[in-house]
Amino acid sequence: MSIGERTFMENSETNVTPLLSAEAVDMSVLKAFEEMHSDEESDLIVELIDLYLEDAPIRLKEIRDAVAENDASLLKRATHSLKGSSSSIGVLQVAEICKKLEQMDCQESPRQVEAIAQLLDYKFAKASEELEAERQRRLS
Amino acid sequence: MFTITQSSRRVLVADDDPVMRKLVTTAIQRTGLVVVTASDGREAYRILQSDAGFKAAVFDMMMPHLKGLDVIRYMRTEKRLMRIPIMIISAEQDIKLMANSFAAGATAFLPKPFTPEQIRNTLHMLVGNVKPTRQAA
Repeated sequence: MSIGERTFMENSETNVTPLLSAEAVDMSVLKAFEEMHSDEESDLIVELIDLYLEDAPIRLKEIRDAVAENDASLLKRATHSLKGSSSSIGVLQVAEICKKLEQMDCQESPRQVEAIAQLLDYKFAKASEELEAERQRRLS
Repeated sequence: MFTITQSSRRVLVADDDPVMRKLVTTAIQRTGLVVVTASDGREAYRILQSDAGFKAAVFDMMMPHLKGLDVIRYMRTEKRLMRIPIMIISAEQDIKLMANSFAAGATAFLPKPFTPEQIRNTLHMLVGNVKPTRQAA
């Protein structure tokens, strides 16, 4: 378990089960939206993956900037936004970490916030790999 | 600007998150309705200033510039907009936020994350007679 994960566990009052899962993405959540797909359109799941992988790095940069500048308002806004899209398409570990960060005060506990923000980057990288693999599988 | 028939088929969707916008837009389009999108509350407000031809509106609670509740409050003070049913979508499941949404004039509240069935049911509550996904045009 990494320092970030340990810090997260020690400070988490929330359900940490998604974080302990081996998979960063719960594909069943994402694939549930297949039923909204119509035959004439491009693959909705691929579109959702592309939109997420395009938008999430912008939010992560905002989170890093907020942590570096102790900007509690920006941290709350960026984590809230990333939490919403992540939980909706099954990127549950990222969503869970965002939920924790959203509740933290970067001025009161800057080192903890920094450690958890690093964990967020790590978990997002894992989720990106899984989403990219799913994307390639669907396009091949 | 729009005929009654066109107006009765259009839904305004405002969300700054492209993933959520795509999910909501797709769910609405599957019911046979036409979606007009805005990327934040301010853009939604600008659209509503000159265009009241919507069957319903769907707003994210937390948007930059102008929040969903602010847009609702504006709509409820404008005679030409006050009858349009509104759904609020929020990542917060706080009962107080839900109560605030209804107090401001929201018709329906959908917490994130949602399943296809949940958004379909909430849309049905909002606009009535929504076709099942597989049978939609």
